[in-house]
Amino acid sequence: MLRIILYSQWKWSRGWLLPVAVVGFAIPYFMLRVGYSGERYWDAAGLLEQVAAWGRGYPALAAAIGLLVGTSAWIHDHRGDHVYALVLPTPRWYYVLLRYTAGLVLLAPAMITVFLGALTATWFTTLPAGIYAYPIQLAARFMLATLLAYSLFFAIASGTQRAAGAVLTIVGIVVVTQLLAGIAGSDLNVLEAAFDRITIWPGPLEVFVGRWMLVDL
Amino acid sequence: MSNAIETHDLRYRAGRDFEIRDLSLAVPTGSIYGFLGPNGSGKTTTIRLVLGLLRPSRGSISVLNRTIPGESTAALAETGYVPERPHLYPSFTVDEILNMHRAFFTRWDPAKAAQLVETFRLRLNQKIRNMSKGETGKLMMLLALAQRPELLVLDEPTDGLDPVVRRDVLMALLEFVSEHGATVFISSHLVHELERICDWVGVMDDGHLVAEMPMQAFKSGIKRLRVENVPAIVAQTPFVILARDTDALGNSEVWTVRGWQDPMTQYFEGSTPSLREVVDLDLEEGFVELLQVARERHPEG
Repeated sequence: MLRIILYSQWKWSRGWLLPVAVVGFAIPYFMLRVGYSGERYWDAAGLLEQVAAWGRGYPALAAAIGLLVGTSAWIHDHRGDHVYALVLPTPRWYYVLLRYTAGLVLLAPAMITVFLGALTATWFTTLPAGIYAYPIQLAARFMLATLLAYSLFFAIASGTQRAAGAVLTIVGIVVVTQLLAGIAGSDLNVLEAAFDRITIWPGPLEVFVGRWMLVDL
Repeated sequence: MSNAIETHDLRYRAGRDFEIRDLSLAVPTGSIYGFLGPNGSGKTTTIRLVLGLLRPSRGSISVLNRTIPGESTAALAETGYVPERPHLYPSFTVDEILNMHRAFFTRWDPAKAAQLVETFRLRLNQKIRNMSKGETGKLMMLLALAQRPELLVLDEPTDGLDPVVRRDVLMALLEFVSEHGATVFISSHLVHELERICDWVGVMDDGHLVAEMPMQAFKSGIKRLRVENVPAIVAQTPFVILARDTDALGNSEVWTVRGWQDPMTQYFEGSTPSLREVVDLDLEEGFVELLQVARERHPEG
């Protein structure tokens, strides 16, 4: 069963899985190679600046992969009102597990290419003294962010329109509260507080923020 | 006689204006049960309840001696379903959807599937999104039959198909039933089609079951009688008068009756009213009469 479910999700997502894998492999190269001309110590600051700038691509890539794989797992079932899945002689929880597992398998190529890209780029670059490469740590963080994004979007996409509406309503209430607070001249900053709550440890999205450094001090 | 499908006192509310209520139906094992009703009468909702896709607010459902929805997985493994609207993945080819089904249905019969691909002249590499309505209808029937089900639940399986495709699909169905003795629960508003193949009939209207009986009883028991000299008060009759209409001249009445048998002509002998004519009604006329009577009795719906 897993094989055919994996095949179905591969069929629906293969169009962009390869480009995403290429991007994952290429980011480390651009981080270290483009615009960096030497190994002199006075280049170190410029290098770190460049690495930090390109590093923003990783959380964006992780979120994009999670979104694409998570939603493509369900979009075709949604179109058929889930009737096909519901009349298969399989418990519903097991069908969800099959779809989730198949998505995890499809995430693997992107994770592997990011790791290989980071390893290759640091292998062929001579770093200034005092600067060290962290390809394994970066790949591990990318893997964690991708899994988190995938799980989040998978859960949202598997829900009903009513569930999606509830999520949007909560977001809308936060935005409207912020607007009203601004009009009333209040110092209340709901958006910032909400953002901090989810992106600062132990917030669930903490892994996405901060600097994604392939090389650092 | 055991029943392949049984519901008792089923109730389900779909939206603000429609409700399935007090639905008790029994589909005898081995029968071909025609589930008739006008559009919007609750046929599809009933089927979805029977398959465990919806949960009733009250009542019980049993399919192949399994409680629904609790044991729906086991029941679905032995049930072939053709939905009203095809729900297959459009980007899949015929071959891919056959593989998908084979992976999930342990009773899948590859030889039967191959035979039906040939009979229906389907191309294995054709994408479902590029198939005509007729080809999709054939594929849906193929998928249901190649599962070798004990029960076939068919929701308007031939709706919108041309006569040639309709005949092909029904032939394949009847061939399967004669080989395997499966029970068929088929909904349709194409009354003539069901008249040819069904041995039981149930009629839905506005969320409730109006009638359920063997097809023979339904066809032979509903008649139109032309009677004359009708007194103001009609005495107890051995049949059920469903409707009474006075003809244009006012000399006679036309009665639509149920439970008619030929010996009942004795009722009219030597008394008033007098019987002039007995007209056979085909299933469609009987169906229409039945609905009219049901609506007169429950005008609020």
